[in-house]
Amino acid sequence: MHRIVVDAMGGDHAPDEIVQGAAEASLGLTGAEIILVGDASALGRLLPRMRHDGARVRVHHAPTWIDMDEKPAEALAAKPEASILVAADLVARGEGDALVSAGNTGASIMACARSWKLVPGVTRAALAAVYPTELRRGEKDDPFSLILDVGATIDATADDLVSFALMGSAYAKLVSKNRSPRVALLSNGTEAGKGPAAVVAAHAQLLEATDINFIGNVEGLDIPRGVADVIVTSGFVGNVVLKMLEGVSETVVRLARYAHKERLAWRLGLLALGSAIDQLKVLTDWQQYGGAPLLGFQHPFIKAHGRSNARAVTNAIKLAHKTLAGGLNAEIGRAIAELDERNGRRKRITTEPAQS
Amino acid sequence: MSLLDRAKRLAGLPVRVGERIGLLDYVPAGIAEGEAPPTHVFRWDLDKTYLRTEFDSFGDLVKSAMEEASDKQAYPGATALLRALKQDGHRVCIVSGSPTQMRQVLVAKLALDGIEYDEFVLKNNLKNILRGRFRSMRAQIPYKLPAMLQSRIGATAAAETLFGDDAEADAVIYCLYADVIAGVVSLGDLERVLTASRAYEDDAARILDLAQRVPKGNAVRRVFIHLDRRSPPLGFRRFGPRLVPVFNYFQAALVLYQDEVLTARQVIFVALEMLDSGQYELGHLATSVQDVIRRGRVARDTALRLTEEASEAAKSGALSGRSDLPPFERIAEAFRERVRSLGGLEPFKFEPMEPLDYVRLVDEEHEQRRARRKQGMG
Repeated sequence: MHRIVVDAMGGDHAPDEIVQGAAEASLGLTGAEIILVGDASALGRLLPRMRHDGARVRVHHAPTWIDMDEKPAEALAAKPEASILVAADLVARGEGDALVSAGNTGASIMACARSWKLVPGVTRAALAAVYPTELRRGEKDDPFSLILDVGATIDATADDLVSFALMGSAYAKLVSKNRSPRVALLSNGTEAGKGPAAVVAAHAQLLEATDINFIGNVEGLDIPRGVADVIVTSGFVGNVVLKMLEGVSETVVRLARYAHKERLAWRLGLLALGSAIDQLKVLTDWQQYGGAPLLGFQHPFIKAHGRSNARAVTNAIKLAHKTLAGGLNAEIGRAIAELDERNGRRKRITTEPAQS
Repeated sequence: MSLLDRAKRLAGLPVRVGERIGLLDYVPAGIAEGEAPPTHVFRWDLDKTYLRTEFDSFGDLVKSAMEEASDKQAYPGATALLRALKQDGHRVCIVSGSPTQMRQVLVAKLALDGIEYDEFVLKNNLKNILRGRFRSMRAQIPYKLPAMLQSRIGATAAAETLFGDDAEADAVIYCLYADVIAGVVSLGDLERVLTASRAYEDDAARILDLAQRVPKGNAVRRVFIHLDRRSPPLGFRRFGPRLVPVFNYFQAALVLYQDEVLTARQVIFVALEMLDSGQYELGHLATSVQDVIRRGRVARDTALRLTEEASEAAKSGALSGRSDLPPFERIAEAFRERVRSLGGLEPFKFEPMEPLDYVRLVDEEHEQRRARRKQGMG
């Protein structure tokens, strides 16, 4: 049985939508138990209103929580019994197997980093995000590519980038059912020598010392095209890129709205495209994906979108269950161990929590 | 064969055959004259309460009708619970909406499970068809209520516990039955309920007669509703603390342990059956404990007392033959942890309630049934 711990107080629509999502997940995931962490009174009032399985979803009391707009480090220091800290601690103590949160991203990552260990050989955890692309991938025709790191940390060494690539590849294999995900480094040119020193060194290592499907460097414009299934970069660059892509998408939507208002011909054109646009919405619906994984820790953590509704939360819980059932961390550990062996270097001792 | 011979032969048919061909009704034998009345009667529904049955579509119905006894599955823990309840002085009465033609296979299933019972009433739908009473085929109150009243007239107990499910109107029927025998529902009110239930006139008259004759008493201690559809438990709060919606039979056993109907040892056997089914682990049972505590159905101390008593039972050899039990320290710790993790949560407390408006409840149930039918859920 997999025990999935859910921060019930994190997210714009917490706790109602989070509890609803967990309740729905309890009906479908018979091999899992869901532990809702948060204000027991509030959760105890909500659960009986929803269809759920009372043997598969339980409550763990945490008296406080961290709001979305709080500064992570300060909030964690001020609220030692905040739901995200209690939730991460439950997993660290072996009372849970994976964590799901739609709450404050910084606080969630820091809470994990405080009490969780990294997978042996991994030097730094990476937050991955998915982005809809033109090309699809894997058995499931997955329209999302994976970008990591998008902000778990700022810098990344060559070794970090290599482990990100291995982690991303293992994740894509499992979640997208993609047997040989195309992995690329994000750079300012496709040539091997292009980019900062860490990227150039990582490029050489990935070619020589790994058996993943490394396709070399890609540029920013290749991301929406879907040239690669896994795009590897440092947290700083990844975060900037992700937000820019989100900004572009929002601008396109605003332009379409403007066009809709401005001219009848444009409006008719948009109407004609209606079903195609609807299909695109379904394909690129982030709620169906559930959330972004924080890779590299010994326990899976799925960061659901802050605006997550019940459906997104259910899918995030399912995703956590999938990573547990598929043995993602064991796969990451195996890939890193193989890399270390090939490099012929001493295994890095990484029992300390990552610095964020 | 002469007509007289035929009549004689029909008259001599065993009830079982007569019932199957829609000619005779099964009338449960009450207690014999001079026999001591039962101390506690347990009334069980069968489909979705004891047996995992799907009848949400026509295909499901056909499948269910074609199943062999060995194909039919009881819910984990239900068999152990029913066996535990069949003690000296206790009476087990089954009233099911399944058609009488299913008797043979259902009797075989109960025999396979080692279930002893005193009454087993099935619905004579063939008779309903032959009489053109199509409304009666789906009607629940006009069928189950008289069957239960008749049964109580035949064998009156001071205490009764009822088991049903959330698939149809069991909660309403059982509470109505409890209130009728308690004398809380007047004959006039009952008549209005029967009209709302669309009972045929002669059926309604018969029910009113039974309601008048039934020995009165506040006998129904508990009504358990098995949440087969996983309906939100909140929807059942209006029925008051007597009715307990349960997700599984470990929860029912816990409540019965609290009510001093079952011993710790018997509760453990229910739990073991659930663990043996492979559908539950120790964590699920502990979470089930937390759920009933949170909902104010079981006191925190009860769960902890259960583990202590069960541990004593194990030490005294009362659970011999089961060497595969998780260590009791582990069980106790799991239960304690679930209780602890609730923090200072105040369990739900029931306020004194108004008498139930059964006409409104029946109307609502009809609405829900219509809605379910629209959604293709039966």
